[in-house]
Amino acid sequence: MRSILIDDREIPLDKEGFLRELDDWTPVVAEQLARAEGIELTDAHWEIIELLQQFYREFELSPAMRPLVKYIGQHLGAEKGRSIYLMQLFPPSPAKIGSKIAGLPKPTNCL
Amino acid sequence: MTKRLLALCRQAPYGNALAREGLEAILAAAAMEQVADILFCGDGVFQLLPEQLPADIEQKSLQRNLQALPVFGVEQAFICSKSLAQRGLDIDTLVQGELVLVPVDDSAALIASYDSVLSF
Amino acid sequence: MTLHIVSKSPFSSTALSDCLDAFGDGDALLLIEDGVYALSGRMAEQPAVKPVYCLAADAAARGLQIPASVTAVDDAGWVALCTEHNPIVSWFK
Repeated sequence: MRSILIDDREIPLDKEGFLRELDDWTPVVAEQLARAEGIELTDAHWEIIELLQQFYREFELSPAMRPLVKYIGQHLGAEKGRSIYLMQLFPPSPAKIGSKIAGLPKPTNCL
Repeated sequence: MTKRLLALCRQAPYGNALAREGLEAILAAAAMEQVADILFCGDGVFQLLPEQLPADIEQKSLQRNLQALPVFGVEQAFICSKSLAQRGLDIDTLVQGELVLVPVDDSAALIASYDSVLSF
Repeated sequence: MTLHIVSKSPFSSTALSDCLDAFGDGDALLLIEDGVYALSGRMAEQPAVKPVYCLAADAAARGLQIPASVTAVDDAGWVALCTEHNPIVSWFK
């Protein structure tokens, strides 16, 4: 089974690198999950991660691309609510990679 | 021409998987930029009762999931007036959020206006 | 217009009554599988619902007579109904 090691604690992942236990998520875990995707987290990443988690609390599901773009636009303005912006932060698939780093379940309808 | 798709949702939430599958189908169609609408009738209207707390039966709140429809591009949901009346429900007591509930008296005409109807 | 297909007994499921609530002028109703148990009385109470079709093999298998007001169809007839109507709504539970 895949896992990451943080402070000597082994955190299990599924075969696509999503957390098996959503309660395992911490900012440090996020940084390590991001690094595995070749992403160094900046403030621009963190504000999206926080909104992904807010999306999940609000709707109890992980977003697909189109709703993610719309949701980010509603909360951070049209400049950031664009797929090209999110694509630069979380390539190559912002809904999936962003959800993974934010500790959300795999989007079931991430088409 | 875009095909117009209607999901006919007749089942109460939680007792079986159909209510969730209907929602998933609509979310998937909407994510693919299809014209996808939803009609709640029969026990399906129970999906819209407010304050569903299904954590103790280890399920996700379908009512919360339904509130995601507008952000997926589905701004309104049709709801059969007769089914509400049969169950002693008033549309004003159902979930109020971004999703606009549109009461339907003539579901036959509504159904006939779609290219495809999926039953759940 | 719409083809409604009902496959559950009206005595164990709301499929038929939900369907009849959504039945419009020009629509057609096809009874298949346990839906054919509607032939034992229930359809006679619904003179407004026509035309009504019934899959002959399903009625015969269950020992049901098809009344004169209902048209018996075989599989080819079922396919023909599907090509003549749009949309098709399956009331299966």
